[in-house]
Amino acid sequence: MSDDAVSPEEVRHVAGLARVDLDDDEVDRFARQFADILEYFETLDEVPEVDREADLTNVMRPDEERDSLDREAALENASKAEDGYFKGPNVS
Amino acid sequence: MTAQTVQQGDLVTVIGLEVHVQLETDTKIFCGCATEQTDEPNENVCPVCLGLPGALPVLNEAAVEAAVKIGKAIDADIPEETRFHRKNYYYPDLPKNFQITQYDEPICADGELEVAVEGERRTVAIERAHLEEDPGSLQHVGGGGGIDSAEYTLVDYNRAGTPLMEIVTAPDFRSPAEVRAFLAELEEVLEYLGVFDAERDGSLRIDANLSIIPEEEIDGDDTDEIGMDALEAANRTEVKNISSHKGAEKALAYEETRQKNAIQRGRAVEQETRHWDESRGITVSMRSKEEEKDYRYFEEADLPPLRVSGWKDEISIPELPSARRERFQAEYGLSEEAASKLTSTKQVADFYEDVAGEFDPDLAATWVADNLLGELNYRDMEITDIAGRLEEVSRLVELVAEDEITAKNARETVLRSMLDDGAAPDEIVEQEGLGKTGEDEVQQAVVEAIDENPDAVDDYESGDDGAINFLVGQVMQKTGGSADPGDVNQLLRAELE
Repeated sequence: MSDDAVSPEEVRHVAGLARVDLDDDEVDRFARQFADILEYFETLDEVPEVDREADLTNVMRPDEERDSLDREAALENASKAEDGYFKGPNVS
Repeated sequence: MTAQTVQQGDLVTVIGLEVHVQLETDTKIFCGCATEQTDEPNENVCPVCLGLPGALPVLNEAAVEAAVKIGKAIDADIPEETRFHRKNYYYPDLPKNFQITQYDEPICADGELEVAVEGERRTVAIERAHLEEDPGSLQHVGGGGGIDSAEYTLVDYNRAGTPLMEIVTAPDFRSPAEVRAFLAELEEVLEYLGVFDAERDGSLRIDANLSIIPEEEIDGDDTDEIGMDALEAANRTEVKNISSHKGAEKALAYEETRQKNAIQRGRAVEQETRHWDESRGITVSMRSKEEEKDYRYFEEADLPPLRVSGWKDEISIPELPSARRERFQAEYGLSEEAASKLTSTKQVADFYEDVAGEFDPDLAATWVADNLLGELNYRDMEITDIAGRLEEVSRLVELVAEDEITAKNARETVLRSMLDDGAAPDEIVEQEGLGKTGEDEVQQAVVEAIDENPDAVDDYESGDDGAINFLVGQVMQKTGGSADPGDVNQLLRAELE
């Protein structure tokens, strides 16, 4: 697969959806990396057909309450918290 | 035809809805956290609904049962197999950066709901209804509190993972009033099914698509009869942030006028998403969000597919409001209006049937539909607020049915005092001395009134029939209002013969 299988425009679009800022160098680098990744997936086409495991269906649990996390623990990994809330930047 | 030549009368409004309803379960859709409302943020959260790495969702059986009930009620197909997808978008109300929802294999497809609009029956097609999880809630803090000017965002994930059903209609509505009637009917149906609580904050959220097309493109009210090309060609706006049927009617009436005005002035209607600002009563343009393809839907591999079409036969649903309305008219001889009031919620209808079974159906209708619902409504209360006291209301109707107190006293004194002071009917009757006065006592008051008011007696005897009313008033006063005025009138006339 050639390098231009993923265009810089597509990279910018995906970065925009993921709310990630990329500079031009990074866009080029990611375009190449995306192309490489897609190529890895093509490798899967070479995998021979095998029987897959029997399908699971209807895996459900009863509507019974289980303990939630302590709020302290829930917020422990947050970089910022305030009054029991997770705190983040303006998201307009 | 150019836009400039279009007259208002040539235009027809076409509306379709996406209605999100919160399903009444004890726990969230993919984890065992409580769905109960709490004042404290981030109390009902766990690794699953916080999207912590490695956490696995497990589907709540009760949410699936609720979905199947809804499917039965709207006469939808429950496909042999149905599955979940990930809808990807990055916003802090979604801790996983994707929402688990259903995409091309929803649990309900091709349903319908019949609704009466201004006396006319309309069938609204429901294209699909699917299960999904609710996101968390955001607070935009500082800088005046608006989304754009806020300094920072506070996030509460208590709501994240609450089970929702998204119900998508065909573009079958022709007016905001029809939308309102449909939403009211849908709410009634969902409450009858016991899967929905209208009182809960945010339990109903509506997105509506509205476009205006030339009238000649429509031959009838069915979607099939719309020129779909015309609908495609017309720009539509999606109005978000509607949270009640009244709000829906207002928001869509505003949007209808806004679009018609634009067309009349020869301006194009932009295809866009608009936000209903309830306090200002207007819709405002929102910055456009992702297109459908940008959500990059793919199968949720952590949730195996569902095969629950057989549940349709196993799960039973109660008689639905429209069927019950018709039966009330036929069985109890009620007017359409009374039947409609008495079936407005399942609790009201059940209570009416209890009372009508014991006493006269007409008396029961007056008491439940007019007196009880009227007094509750006046106090901003619902029948559910007095769920534990319905026997007392029955007892009050019994007192009236057995002629122990007058209907007027029962309604104006006893019922009001029951609701305001929480007392039981017999207590109030006792305290206020409302028990109908014994015959001897009334007879004695009649004799006294005649003795004490010779002038009125003279007037009556000389042909002034109105004078009897004065004497009735005197007797009523002596008996503290507990005598029956009609009886008193007769007793007076008999005594004066």
